[in-house]
Amino acid sequence: MMDKEIRFKPDSFELVQSNIRITDKKLETKPTTFFKDAFRRFCKNKSSIVAAFILAILILLTIFVPVLSPSNITNVNVTERMLAPKLFESGTGFWDGTRKMERVVYDTVNEVPAVSDRYSVAALKNALVKIKVDEEPTPVDMANQYGVGGLVVMATDAAVDGKDVYMTSKAVSFTSQGGYRLKIDMDDEEGVQGSLLGEYRVFLKGSDGTEIVVRDFSTDYSDIDFDISKALADAGKTSLNAQIVFDLKSSADAFRYILIGNVELTAESGKNGEQLDNVSFDDATKMVLVANKDSEAYWACSGRKGVHNSLIYYCDYTIDTYELVYGNADMVTYSATDIKRWIDAGWCEYDEKIGPESFVRLTDDCPIDEVVEQSVNSRTKKLNSVTGRGYNYRTMGYKTMPKFLLGTDASGFDLFKRSFAGLRTSLILGLCTAAFCFAFGLVWGAVSGYFGGNVDLFMERFCEILGGVPWIVVMTLAILHLGNNFFTFFLALCMTGWMATAHRTRTQFYRFKGREYVLASRTLGSSDLRLIFKHILPNSMGTIITGSVLMIPSTIYSEATLAYLNLGLQGVQSFGVMMSNNQQYLGLYPYLVIFPAVIMALMMVSFNLFGNGLRDAFNPSLKGSE
Amino acid sequence: MGKYVLKRILLAFFTTVIILSLTFILVKLLPFDRPIGGDQQQIAYFDKQYNLGYVYRFKLVKDAPVVEEYNAKYGEYLYRSPVERGSCFYYYKVPVMEQYVSWVKNVVTKWDWGYSKSFQPNVAASVIIMNRIWYSMRLNIISVIFSVPLGLLLGIWAALKKNTLTDHTISTMVMIFISVPSFVLICFVLRIFAYDLGWLPSTWPADTATTWTKIKGYIIPVFCLSFSSVCYYCRYTRAELCEVMESDYLLLARTKGLTRRQAIVRHALKNAMVPIFPSILGEFIGILGGSMILENLYGIPGIGKLFILSLNYKDYDILFVDMAIFTTISLLAGVVVDLSYGFIDPRIRMGAKK
Repeated sequence: MMDKEIRFKPDSFELVQSNIRITDKKLETKPTTFFKDAFRRFCKNKSSIVAAFILAILILLTIFVPVLSPSNITNVNVTERMLAPKLFESGTGFWDGTRKMERVVYDTVNEVPAVSDRYSVAALKNALVKIKVDEEPTPVDMANQYGVGGLVVMATDAAVDGKDVYMTSKAVSFTSQGGYRLKIDMDDEEGVQGSLLGEYRVFLKGSDGTEIVVRDFSTDYSDIDFDISKALADAGKTSLNAQIVFDLKSSADAFRYILIGNVELTAESGKNGEQLDNVSFDDATKMVLVANKDSEAYWACSGRKGVHNSLIYYCDYTIDTYELVYGNADMVTYSATDIKRWIDAGWCEYDEKIGPESFVRLTDDCPIDEVVEQSVNSRTKKLNSVTGRGYNYRTMGYKTMPKFLLGTDASGFDLFKRSFAGLRTSLILGLCTAAFCFAFGLVWGAVSGYFGGNVDLFMERFCEILGGVPWIVVMTLAILHLGNNFFTFFLALCMTGWMATAHRTRTQFYRFKGREYVLASRTLGSSDLRLIFKHILPNSMGTIITGSVLMIPSTIYSEATLAYLNLGLQGVQSFGVMMSNNQQYLGLYPYLVIFPAVIMALMMVSFNLFGNGLRDAFNPSLKGSE
Repeated sequence: MGKYVLKRILLAFFTTVIILSLTFILVKLLPFDRPIGGDQQQIAYFDKQYNLGYVYRFKLVKDAPVVEEYNAKYGEYLYRSPVERGSCFYYYKVPVMEQYVSWVKNVVTKWDWGYSKSFQPNVAASVIIMNRIWYSMRLNIISVIFSVPLGLLLGIWAALKKNTLTDHTISTMVMIFISVPSFVLICFVLRIFAYDLGWLPSTWPADTATTWTKIKGYIIPVFCLSFSSVCYYCRYTRAELCEVMESDYLLLARTKGLTRRQAIVRHALKNAMVPIFPSILGEFIGILGGSMILENLYGIPGIGKLFILSLNYKDYDILFVDMAIFTTISLLAGVVVDLSYGFIDPRIRMGAKK
């Protein structure tokens, strides 16, 4: 390397600022305020941004859903209760308004699940998506209208102390010529319903007092096949009006019973058929269920008449709840005024003189698709009513088949709208409470913290006493004295809430009031008010605001908690009351609890994350550090 | 130090007295509700109230003009016993402030907290509370035993693995679960474990249930009670330990040759526990109280459930005693936490000696 020699000459230098005055220059960096800086730092916290976003969506929904949704959430409508959540078209298998039910008793006659006490069979058939009936029926010892077969249990009863128990059929006229035969299937299963088999006899009890023994007292449980006509002839009678009687001996030590499978009474060449049917039965369950004396196959029993091994079929099925409620109504009858109103409104055309064929549907408003029949007053020849076929939802006042995103609850209210309407109340309550507590607590804390000394001591003691009362006690007392309305809640929540803000403000004031800039301002002659509001407060604002924001979710939580304690808000839509009312359906209709719970949890998590972000953003010790 | 302790306890005592007095007066100001039951029960109840000094009793002839006079003086009578030999007893409400004086006298001299009106007619409030507090206590003790160590361990684990996947997972879970309200949590737990899976009973087992069912009955309530405190301790421990880990004295401990383990066990944990330990003590005081929501939803016959039952029965005397318990517990916990700070933190302890 070669050394380089550099030479400087005096004229190679030049004075830079020889003719410029050196003055203070304005800073070229952008000035930033406390809040701008906080905002910038808040934006760097990803989870808080997401939370703020979710929160914004939820708040928008609470504002718009209760206003825009047309669903009814005020008048109880039982027909529309418990509709499943529906987002997609039915048939997609997920969130489509169908409900899967398991192990429901199957109605073997109508071939639908046995829930027809609330829905018509036709509507059920129409709405069934899938049904799987158990191949193996379940035997039960109970007479159920959907059960079949089994054995009649004729048993002694505690009420019949010591006396024999009789089971008597209706009277039948027998003749010695008719070829009457009585067949009885007996069973000898032991230990049914924890009792013992008993000694019994079967006989025919004539209206004239004659007794023809079919089987005398015995413990023989074999089937009986008895020729009545022959027995009559043997007894020297040509005809007898008699009842068939089972006679069971009572026993002091235990309940006794016998099992009867079926009773069949036959006659030659179908004679006297109706009377025979009055006695015969081949389905024990059906026989036991006959309670009306005049009905076919009614047997009176002085003891207990039960059924053993009645077979019940269970089924698993999926049903479209919307189709069930709003679907094709099979036959609905409308009055003449109804149809006249439709004609006047231009919904349809109908001429009562021509009849059902003249019906023309003009617009979608018309509730029925076709008229099946009409009834005309025979005297005045005026139209009484028409019976038509159409969709139920039209008669219920809907234009199209309704669709509830989260289904409906026990009162037939749209859960989606109701949740957000309730949340709106909660949010308003939270906002009002937070605003009041913020204002009042700020002033209280500022005075207490700024002046210190005896003022502070007195104010602190006051807070300590008021703060020592658990919030639940304050709320309960307020509600008991003032009733559970919105204002009471507001008042009570404020009463317990403001102390947190006051405490926070006081701490901040203690921290900042001794700082040099406060001292500087004081020496310049600032008043107390100016010091408080211009110098100390802006510095402590961040923490106080964060606390106040977090007061909103805690208010929502308090409101819901009180509802779970049966002290909920009345007279307005309340989220907590809705949730606690739905709690009882957790087993059968879990969506009623789970959806609001998810909304609530989402709201709480978002609020807390948002609050955490705010706290970090406002934290003065983190200012400038990245 | 002794002076500080005494001052703190006295202050808390006076606060308690003031709050209980205010609560008593507010409860007594509530509209009076007749007790349920026949005349026998009513007379028994009112005579007890008369002996305690909460009602006036006058023996008067039925419909005598003097009744009007009394009505004008004391307000409408609360109850009139059946007429016996031409006369009957009239019961009138004593003014609230006089009732308050009687109440103070009863509590101080006889430890008599009043009687149930309609919830369990004529049973002493202290008996009702004693029958129920054990359920709440048992549950809370078990849940504290589970939740405190678990919360501390999770918190320590998260702090030691700060800013790793473990820490983020734990912190996120804690964040989520601390935000979810307890009744929501109970709903989900009930739905999944009691209804869907059917592993656990869906309500509190009766006293006649088998031991195994009873043990299973504890699982859901203990789990739900522990949940929030596990989250709380985890978050608190993590925050404290993280702060200590970055302190200068821990750096000094490491530079003077301690291993990481030694430094953490001897210095970091000890210092981090200073603010945490008092809150654990506070938690132990809290075992006396019951969780109202949980006891209500799970049907546990504790004192939290009693609060709701007495409200539903409008049995305000019982309600007041229950409120008094909750108030006293929370104030007591506050005192214990404050005092234990003094005992544990050498800075405060030494400072107080000066």
